[in-house]
Amino acid sequence: MNTSERPALDLYKLVVVHYLVSALCFVGLAVMLMITAGNLTGHYFHPQILAVTHMAALGWGTLIVFGAIYQLLPVILETELYSYKLGWLSLGLFIPGLTLLVCSFWHFQPGLLMQCGSILLLSGITLFGLNVFLTAKQNRDDIHQEFIITACIWLMATALLGALLVFNFRYAFLQKDHLLFLKLHAHMGLAGWFLILITGVSSKLIPMFLVSKVQKNSLLTWSYYLMNAGLLLFITDTYFFGLNLKSYVAAVIVFAGIVCWMLFLSRCFRSRIRKTIDLPMSHSVLSFVMLGAAIIILPVIIFNAVKADQKAVDYTTLYGTLLLMGWISSLILGQTFKTLPYIVWTRHYQHLTGSAITPMPADLFNHKILRAQFILFLFFTVMFYAGLFYKSVVWIVAGLVCIFMVAILYFINVIAVLLHSPSIKK
Amino acid sequence: MPPVNIREISIRSRVMEVLRQVIDPELGINIVDMGLIYSVQIDEDAREIHVSLTLSTKGCPMGAAISGGVENTLKLHFADYSQTVSIVWEPAWSPQFISENGQKQLER
Repeated sequence: MNTSERPALDLYKLVVVHYLVSALCFVGLAVMLMITAGNLTGHYFHPQILAVTHMAALGWGTLIVFGAIYQLLPVILETELYSYKLGWLSLGLFIPGLTLLVCSFWHFQPGLLMQCGSILLLSGITLFGLNVFLTAKQNRDDIHQEFIITACIWLMATALLGALLVFNFRYAFLQKDHLLFLKLHAHMGLAGWFLILITGVSSKLIPMFLVSKVQKNSLLTWSYYLMNAGLLLFITDTYFFGLNLKSYVAAVIVFAGIVCWMLFLSRCFRSRIRKTIDLPMSHSVLSFVMLGAAIIILPVIIFNAVKADQKAVDYTTLYGTLLLMGWISSLILGQTFKTLPYIVWTRHYQHLTGSAITPMPADLFNHKILRAQFILFLFFTVMFYAGLFYKSVVWIVAGLVCIFMVAILYFINVIAVLLHSPSIKK
Repeated sequence: MPPVNIREISIRSRVMEVLRQVIDPELGINIVDMGLIYSVQIDEDAREIHVSLTLSTKGCPMGAAISGGVENTLKLHFADYSQTVSIVWEPAWSPQFISENGQKQLER
């Protein structure tokens, strides 16, 4: 092997293993959801729901994002990843940590195994963050870089609070209600990690995929400050006073940040040269619709929580599942087939461009399977959320059967891309 | 005014023609129609070809594939010349640089 190929191969292995484990977690998540379907109409603070939520947020959502960032960050910053060993070590701590945490949540045994799981996860996440910071240490004054780094800080804070909550089960040292901290933990993860990260990465990739006319970054800068300011306000105010009327203000500030991001994306969309919207991009569009639905529900939750109405709990389940299974899942289900084929294509064909006829990255996945996946995801969306809204277990289960099939199809297609055998015409 | 070198003009147009074989892997259209090639300089005496190109955005994930593709193509078709490829950012690429042919392909 040429020594110059070594870093590329190291990066390739690190990235695709993250994609693969994440796809496996998605199948596991779908199975767990079907088993615990009956509990989805009850209180969200249920052992199996906690297990499912962590499987979705960490195993499915976060692992694939780690892989994507390892691939994307060096490209954006025109540098190499600081350390591949750190990346592997992070993954090596993350996977057993996740397994221990999810299993001990599922059987609700808040003892040593859950504590070990939380510490392993925190360590894995911290090493990931360290790798990102050291890769980006030569600051390039790039707004996308700011989004990624800030999101990593939020993720580490989320994991730290999560670990504290785990220890609080046994030692009860936190001075306030456990559910209050759970709200903070959840929003640090959902808004601090996922929302800020997705905003940064999507505003880099979507204009490139659509070939949009260059957009000014001022909207993104506004979005960055509004999202972070709103979230900080929410965390501090909720910590001291619980959910109250000021929570609306925090929600409105974050919402204003989302509006700036959406305005940026819609300008990119309207000025795009590439007219065709392919299936992966359709999945992304659907994901933004789900995000919009979740945002509409948020004031309803605050309204009912302030009144101490039980409906706040029901709407919280709907809100959480719209974000995790709707917004984040739909985005991943589509963007995987924008990013993974490119990663595999680069490995097999990049050195051959111009000297041989190579397939395109989009030729590496099965389009029929992706179409079936998209249609099944639409069925899942309609049946599952209708089931949650009307508290119908039958519709919830029907939706979950669809998401299980989505997970299987997704896994098959990911494997198809990873096992692609190069074919070259001279 | 420097004398017109017919041979250099001829080679430059051949270079542009072969560079049409380099396809942007994400968009599926060639980099000449994409407007990514900013200049082709030929030095007949030094037997040298220099291509300046840009990318649609800084940090484009396809950057290495595109610049590598240009090098491979030049090596394949102009083996008796040495080749250099540089990536430039001024002026910043704009979709207005896409040729009519390229626009038609993207609108499909």
